[in-house]
Amino acid sequence: MSYKDLRSFLQKLDEEGQLIKYDKPIKISPDFPDVSRSLPRLGQFAPALITDQLEGYTGQRIVVGVHNSPANCALMLGLPKDTSLNKLIAHVSGLWEKIGDASEAKLKWIENPPCQEVIVEGDDLNLWELIPLHRIYPADGGFYLPKACIVTKSPYAPDDINSENVGTYRCQIQGPRAIGIHISPVHDGGEHLGQAAVLGKPLPVAICLGCDPLLELFSSTALKANESEFKFAAAMGDMEYELAKTTLYDLDVPANAEFVIEGEIYPNEKFVEGPFGEFTGSYSGVNQAARMVVKRVTHRVNPIYDSMCLGGISEKESENILALNTCSALYRQLKNDMPEIKAVNATYQHGMTTIISAKMRCPGYAKTIAMRLASTPHGTDYCRNIIIVDEEVDPFNLNEVMWAMSTRVRGSEDIIVIPGVPGLPLLPADTKVLIGRKLIIDATTPIAPDEFRPTRLIRPYKVSKDWRDDLRKLQREMQK
Amino acid sequence: MQCVRCLRDTAEVVAKAPDKSNAWEIYCCSVCNYSWRNNEVDEITKIDQREEWRQLDKTDLSSLREVIYRARQPKPENL
Repeated sequence: MSYKDLRSFLQKLDEEGQLIKYDKPIKISPDFPDVSRSLPRLGQFAPALITDQLEGYTGQRIVVGVHNSPANCALMLGLPKDTSLNKLIAHVSGLWEKIGDASEAKLKWIENPPCQEVIVEGDDLNLWELIPLHRIYPADGGFYLPKACIVTKSPYAPDDINSENVGTYRCQIQGPRAIGIHISPVHDGGEHLGQAAVLGKPLPVAICLGCDPLLELFSSTALKANESEFKFAAAMGDMEYELAKTTLYDLDVPANAEFVIEGEIYPNEKFVEGPFGEFTGSYSGVNQAARMVVKRVTHRVNPIYDSMCLGGISEKESENILALNTCSALYRQLKNDMPEIKAVNATYQHGMTTIISAKMRCPGYAKTIAMRLASTPHGTDYCRNIIIVDEEVDPFNLNEVMWAMSTRVRGSEDIIVIPGVPGLPLLPADTKVLIGRKLIIDATTPIAPDEFRPTRLIRPYKVSKDWRDDLRKLQREMQK
Repeated sequence: MQCVRCLRDTAEVVAKAPDKSNAWEIYCCSVCNYSWRNNEVDEITKIDQREEWRQLDKTDLSSLREVIYRARQPKPENL
């Protein structure tokens, strides 16, 4: 099952009861942000919400919560909506194994694509009026595009689609035809800007809004610089991915995106940008960042703006988008060298707290696993709090994880702090920028000669059958 | 008009409700790039009700951290 565009996925969500079509007038402030903040708190089956009644933008469609819940993400991958998060991530891991480097993925360029049905430019173009923008967090420096898929290409290799990058970076609307873009220099988009600076040329950029749900996932995934997000989306969706050339530049964009914003960035020109509420639950600072000069916007007829669900401290759509590929990538990297790894839960704040279940090969093996995680490309600066549990503990079941921590952790032996490791500018717990610390909690059962005091432990025992489905069925029948 | 964040007289009307309802206007400052709607809550629109830490009137904007881009890959010889 694959969805070539946002619209076909929304249709699926609607069929499955996962799309609220809100038809009453709704105030743009404070009601709409409050609505989108409430949505993810509906839990595993939290729906998306679409409306064309946003105050001031009547008739213009906006959707929030497309990736809002495990249910929506399961549907995106062609699974039943009641698929547990554990099974969802295992499924994604299996897909990664299957697609490899996505070199066999099929891409197809089409003429007169839907994303170019309407062209807006010049004085007719005002981003604030064209796109139903709202403030995401109260202290943001303005109106941001929270789910933008931003396409840039290496100026050193303009004919190589594998050099093309699709990334998600924050975009602040700064003028009718101006967008402040904060791209971290370590990301691929940052490298492209560095190359443009060397050549003394502006960098062409295409910002795509309302893309198919899989591209949104890969736009936030740390692929290698020479790997194409389009190819991975094609491979994982088992589809021929439709692309189009932008109207002004030699850039490739999803042919079925709702909006494409085309323009250029002059890498050495900087403008005040920020702050913006980040997934860490704090605002990033105000900086001098790059600005995109917008030349043209193309869009579909009656376009849908895909915005982000805010949530509470932890309940954000962005967490789901980041979680699936983060867990899978870390699982694959660890499993390569450590076949004892059973599962990896890196769903919390992009893996800042990661819980791993594994069979213990030898005494102290949990610490080895933790250190291996801490040295993966993602784990280097993201995985801060690392909890290791036995293979029979489900790392996605926090009750089980808490049980393991309550009954297995010996404070003097099993808690290790490593100071002075690479840090993250976004993380307030890093008291100095770029310098952090790692915390390892070994919540596994000791293996001889390591030991608890002499007691007889209740080891996992075989069950003849998992009775849960039968019992649920009985309960449902009794409730009729 | 005055920017509610940096307090400079460098803000102007940049957009109006496109459905012609007059529901709101958007203002943006050309110096600090802050933008706001006239119908947002007072903690955003009223200077005397904005929290001190959100303001930029006492900040030298030129001293703000600059995001600098340097290419890691060497430039190809044919370019």
